[in-house]
Amino acid sequence: MAEPITLTIDDRQVTVPAGTLLVDAAAAVQIEIPIFCSHPKLDPVGCCRMCMVEVETPRGPRLMTACTTPVAQGMVVHTNTESVRSVQEANLAFILANHPLDCPICDKGGECPLQDQTLRFGPGVSHLVEPKRLAKKHYLISETIVLDQERCILCWRCIRYLEEWEDKPQLGLFQRGNDTVIDTFPGQPVDAKTSGNIIDICPVGALTSRVARFDFRPWQVTRTPSICVHCSVGCNLRLDSRTHTLRRIVGRENMAVNDQWICDKGRFAYAWVNSPERLRYPLLRRDGRLVPVQWREALEYVAERLHTLREEHGPDAIGFIGSAKLSNEAAYTLQRFARQMIGTNNVDHRDGGDVAAWPVGIPALAHLMKPQYGPDPQVDTVFLLGVDPSEELPILDLHLKRSVRRAGMRLVLAHPRRIELTRYRGPYLGYRPGTEVALLNGLVKAVLESDAELPGEARERAEELAQWVAPVDDALLQELCGVDPDTVREAGHLLARSRQALIVYGPLAARGPQGPAVRQALVNLAAVTGHFERLAYVGLEANSQGVRDVGLLPHRLPGHLPLDQTDGVRRLEELWGAAIPTAPGLTYSQMLAAAGDTLKALYIVGADPASERPAWAENLEKLDLLVVHELVETATVERAHVVFPALGWAEHDGTFTNLEGRVQRAPKAVTNPHTRAAPDWMILDHLASHMDVDWPYADVRAITGEIAQVVPSYRGLTWDALGDQGVQGDVDAARPRPKLAPATQPPLDPEPGHPLVLVTGTVLYDGGNLVGRTPQMRAVAFPTGAGLHPEDAATLDVAPGDRVRVVSPHGSLELPVHVDDRVRPGTVWIPEGLADAPVGALLDGIYPVPVRVEPGKSGE
Amino acid sequence: MAIKDYLKDAIEIGKAMGVTLKHLAQPPVTVEYPFEPVPVYPRFRGRHELRRYDNGLERCIGCMLCEAACPTGAIYVEAAENDPEDPVSPGERYAKVYEINLLRCIFCGDCEAACPTEAIVLGHDFAMANYHRRDFILTKEELLNPPEPNVIIRPE
Repeated sequence: MAEPITLTIDDRQVTVPAGTLLVDAAAAVQIEIPIFCSHPKLDPVGCCRMCMVEVETPRGPRLMTACTTPVAQGMVVHTNTESVRSVQEANLAFILANHPLDCPICDKGGECPLQDQTLRFGPGVSHLVEPKRLAKKHYLISETIVLDQERCILCWRCIRYLEEWEDKPQLGLFQRGNDTVIDTFPGQPVDAKTSGNIIDICPVGALTSRVARFDFRPWQVTRTPSICVHCSVGCNLRLDSRTHTLRRIVGRENMAVNDQWICDKGRFAYAWVNSPERLRYPLLRRDGRLVPVQWREALEYVAERLHTLREEHGPDAIGFIGSAKLSNEAAYTLQRFARQMIGTNNVDHRDGGDVAAWPVGIPALAHLMKPQYGPDPQVDTVFLLGVDPSEELPILDLHLKRSVRRAGMRLVLAHPRRIELTRYRGPYLGYRPGTEVALLNGLVKAVLESDAELPGEARERAEELAQWVAPVDDALLQELCGVDPDTVREAGHLLARSRQALIVYGPLAARGPQGPAVRQALVNLAAVTGHFERLAYVGLEANSQGVRDVGLLPHRLPGHLPLDQTDGVRRLEELWGAAIPTAPGLTYSQMLAAAGDTLKALYIVGADPASERPAWAENLEKLDLLVVHELVETATVERAHVVFPALGWAEHDGTFTNLEGRVQRAPKAVTNPHTRAAPDWMILDHLASHMDVDWPYADVRAITGEIAQVVPSYRGLTWDALGDQGVQGDVDAARPRPKLAPATQPPLDPEPGHPLVLVTGTVLYDGGNLVGRTPQMRAVAFPTGAGLHPEDAATLDVAPGDRVRVVSPHGSLELPVHVDDRVRPGTVWIPEGLADAPVGALLDGIYPVPVRVEPGKSGE
Repeated sequence: MAIKDYLKDAIEIGKAMGVTLKHLAQPPVTVEYPFEPVPVYPRFRGRHELRRYDNGLERCIGCMLCEAACPTGAIYVEAAENDPEDPVSPGERYAKVYEINLLRCIFCGDCEAACPTEAIVLGHDFAMANYHRRDFILTKEELLNPPEPNVIIRPE
């Protein structure tokens, strides 16, 4: 580290690290230098000329731009001399010469740096008599962002953001001189997943949100610090509300999570909060119709029915399904209700017990972040298996891109689809779905065969390891996995040589019966490369980590406690005052498959399995009792006997745990006066009291306290201690010890007549029930269709747009084709959650899913 | 009491009656209020009106500055975007909702001063009594004056 530098700014001594820019040095001693183009998170460019300061040089005082000049030893700077002031006034006069004074109708008015600085540093009178420049106003550069070229002051912040962070230069400067404008490239709208951030950093009202357009004035709104619930990164947000409605969402800085950036889904997809279609009253099915009833009546009915069914069919005939979108408190009370009140371990959520997850997530997002300010990223290699951050975790994608480009981080990508991150150099392993274990064993073998020194236990058991992975030779990798053996070797060497590598896998790779083998193969890989502390499973929903931690799983109690660990179970039984069943319960897919058969009643909180798989929808109709907590009407609600209206994340307090184990608060921001809805935990609490058990929860914070008591990694966390930035739980406490064991590739059973393999996955802009309520998001939603590689499309003789029938042994689905060379040859790509295309129709718990493609009935 | 005193009193009464009789011939100074209009000063601040331009477009652009200026929080505005084919006001923005709560209003005129388009003005109507509280909340339809402007812009 270079020597700190001391300089004088306005007769005050300042000592800052070498390389600091003058504008930051001045800010360190609270001396304000006006800026427009300079931004702490963007590279300096010095194009607005607003930050001129006077620096004493041997040739006399010289004016320099503070945002591009690094400090130097003994520098003497003046920020408030007559020449500086005259330059500032003249500069503002030039900027305002063409800036339309339509502040009253501008959404930036009230929080506009140009307004503020004109007031502080401006000339006060205008000498302009000529007409102003005219350019495009109200011009859509994407479905969600409106550009007003007249208001633009050409600071390039938006251009630089898209280049430096998104690595998608989709905006540029056109024309020259007085005619210069910012514009998109012809025919190519801005479609970067985090493009909305350019609205936040625009220093004028040139870029405004189309979704929140004219909905708010900055001085009216109540600002609540909260977090995003669309994915497991847990970006920090600010919710701006007025008159009981959510008016706008902007990013909030948290240097440990999202820097200050958020993705467009988090920013724009909030219309469901204010939706008039929200459920308002408890509904009870009478004569085949759901009719509104009083809370008491609905609760009494459910309590009585649950009691009767439990008496008649036993506790294991009742199942509980939660959702990874629930807060920790809701998930905890749900599993407590199932285990204490009913006495069953039939409690799970989607991608819960069906996925062989690793109990801990990424050790720290900060290890991947901020190569340009603060310490360099500690992670130098990231291995992603079955995770597509660009579609699933956009802000993680942003961090990875930044680290790859700024800090030379290497990516090793293993995904059955050529995901967007493959545009960066780094081995890409496009394996055939279902061959994950073989691929991972191949990687282990490559590490063992490299000259890298093996760590600890792996060194002692190197021979044993080599034996386990011996069958994976080049031919197998080529034939079975469909990957290039040299690429596997390159990837293995990269991981072995890496100082700190992060090994991340997602639900796509570890679902179904082969999940445990994949997890074991990953443990082996992490152990031989020495990166065991950085093996991470990332769920995709907002609280995927948290609901696992609080025990919304059929085989684990809160704190990942196994059901057979008697000491821990006894402590929990004392706390709850009830016996806990010891047999593992049914998983999510098992419960839904058994619904109407051995399972007589289902209690579903915030999940919609009926729209996921047609077979499940039929099963739900056969149930004796279906209770649903929901925000809006869904396919599951239509089949329910009792519906409890629930509150959304913005309407009540809750905590969420992100993919790095950071527990963050989402406090109540708005009150919906039109609904009688209640928080999930409160509904369960009342239901318990209708079943003659009083839970000790006065408010949600009491539940947070109880979670902190029973989950070891959350020890000591309280609502107040979480603050605005959240607190990372003790991740090390939750990490199991490494256990090396052989991982065997299960045989692939090719189904005759089904030559292709189905690849599912998540896309950011799906046709989700909540996201789709924002009309602008509907316009950018991923088009419903089956993705085929051009080769396969040619073989099958289908053209883009043709309707085809995708048939698996379990069902079929008719949808249009889109041809995409990012789809692996031999696979059909159908993302989950597309409008009118429940890919679940093709699934039946078997992985991989063999399919064939037939011509559809065209024209219907 | 002498006769002189009676005479003196009679003269006094006569004088007084003279004044009375003199005013009998003059026009009255009082106004038959509900049946006759009451003259108000040009700068009198009464019930609010929202003005239009000569072409019928509303002057109000929904900027909510009146709401911000209002010391009693009597104004509530919701803005929306104009349909370019069928605009409500010139420009991109108009007031979708514009409400004034007369029970809160103190007729200070700050909204007038804040308005960048001289859309909201305090008119000369002062008879605002009503039977229901809810009727004291004036909606945009009640506030918008007829297409031909009838409000005098104050000299200041």
